[in-house]
Amino acid sequence: MRTEVIEKIYSLMKLDKNVYLLTGDLGFSVLEKIEREFPKRFVNMGVAEQNMMGTATGLALSGKKVFVYSIIPFATMRCFEQIRDDICYNNANVTIIGVGSGLSYGILGCTHFALEDIAILRCLPNISIVSPCDGIEAVLAIDYIYSQSTPVYIRIGKKEEPTIYQKTYPFEFGKGVILSRGTDITIFSTGTILKNVLDAGNILKDKYHISASIVNLHTIKPIDIKLVVQESRGKKSVFTVEEHGQIGGLGSAVAEIISEYDKMPTLTRIGTPDRFIKYIGSQDYLRERLSLSPAGIVKIIRNKLS
Amino acid sequence: MKSSKINLSQVAHNLRKSIIEMLVPKESHHIGCSLSIVEILTVLYFHTLHLNPRKPKDPNRDIFILSKGHAAAALYATLATRGFFPHRILKEYDTNGGILPEHVTKVVPGVEVSTGSLGHGLPIGIGFAIANFYELTKKSIYVLMSDGELNEGSNWEAIMFAGFHKLDNLVAIIDANGQQGYGSTKKVLDLGELKDKISPFGWNTYETDGHNLDELTSIFRLVKQQSNGKPNFIIAHTIKGKGIPQFEGKFESHYYSIDEEMKKKILKSL
Repeated sequence: MRTEVIEKIYSLMKLDKNVYLLTGDLGFSVLEKIEREFPKRFVNMGVAEQNMMGTATGLALSGKKVFVYSIIPFATMRCFEQIRDDICYNNANVTIIGVGSGLSYGILGCTHFALEDIAILRCLPNISIVSPCDGIEAVLAIDYIYSQSTPVYIRIGKKEEPTIYQKTYPFEFGKGVILSRGTDITIFSTGTILKNVLDAGNILKDKYHISASIVNLHTIKPIDIKLVVQESRGKKSVFTVEEHGQIGGLGSAVAEIISEYDKMPTLTRIGTPDRFIKYIGSQDYLRERLSLSPAGIVKIIRNKLS
Repeated sequence: MKSSKINLSQVAHNLRKSIIEMLVPKESHHIGCSLSIVEILTVLYFHTLHLNPRKPKDPNRDIFILSKGHAAAALYATLATRGFFPHRILKEYDTNGGILPEHVTKVVPGVEVSTGSLGHGLPIGIGFAIANFYELTKKSIYVLMSDGELNEGSNWEAIMFAGFHKLDNLVAIIDANGQQGYGSTKKVLDLGELKDKISPFGWNTYETDGHNLDELTSIFRLVKQQSNGKPNFIIAHTIKGKGIPQFEGKFESHYYSIDEEMKKKILKSL
């Protein structure tokens, strides 16, 4: 996903002299072409994220379209106050590209996991949050983001994630996508974990005769309230699946909505637990251990329904 | 704008009056913080900065960022006097429903960036400096910080970056009044010989009397004209609370408010 996003940024920088890309000293093997061809608009800010976000703000207030790139914890947590006070409070045209959603950097350990980013950024006014599920959706999202001039956080994977969309589709910011229709339950999900959700949906249907609607909420803020209510009403139960903590992320966003409406089913938030994960491994290994594999998701759903 | 046509001393005096006038009795704080930068703002806004109040978004304008955003009263008084908005708006300072909060906001005409948390202004200034760096019309970006503010690490990220990247259109000014939040700077976190700390990062460094209009005029003229591949760092020695004898030199003037009677007395003395 990272490669497709960078390619898209490259094409935007080629097209528009006002597009800048700042990196926090990361981008080995992916940013070299941009650095070579646009040396005045590609800036390696060094390992200094607070300065990076402030600089992004100054550039944006000067009329530039600014993209900032780093690994999610560094892009969002190290400099959270700058995101709040500089970017959001000044409503600056800055897009934060956070790489390595969820457990993407599995063997690197907790400091490099991204399990709290959605929670902390959701509460900032003026920010939009986009969480594409594959490279195709990520490029469509960047296209939309380019046309806007307010703060955005886009949460992307790393590399070699499976594609979910076979081809481009009419991406609508703020609108969820029903990927499959079912009658028993609805699973809301976002980001690259959606692949596991789709696989889980198939297992539920084929093996356990549980019919699940699966909804891709690629825009977490502003969330598609209408679709969430519509796809929750009339179901036995609803679930959210995210490669993010159970606290404050997609699950909480959906819970906030359906708790305000009548005749809503109960909600189960499937995500990572409220503890630091003591072991490491590949993303797939960690997902399996944390019940985010297709089988793990199926187990949680079946337990809830029985 | 030529200083010979304007009596800068009179402007500074009137700014002090405006600041005191706008204070809400028993409510407004940060009084000392605003008073120490009056001369700096006087020279910048009435001599140095290339600005047009009728065109606050003129792309060729110089940029001023008040990084020590809590000195908002001083900047509001300056902007009103310079013509960015009517003087009567100053009555909204610190009032219910008013548009002039005690930390500057971009909503106010003439304010480039909303600030309030320390250590944010210089990085933002770098962004403006980079945006302008390769343009034909070079402008100057000024960032006014406090000495206590230099405790924040984000400033040092910015200082390293600007020096290394030779952003010679950037001017950092330190309101060095020697006082900060809970004591003097010497007591809390002594900056020592600041010039010797900044120069090695690749900046031109200068010291000046922050209340001497002629010195300030000269130094701002010098840095505006020079372009030697180094950003400029001006340490302006000031007195916190300057102009109000009972506040002068006291870190407590960061917090003191004044009542109606005291306000009248001070205005009379001015």
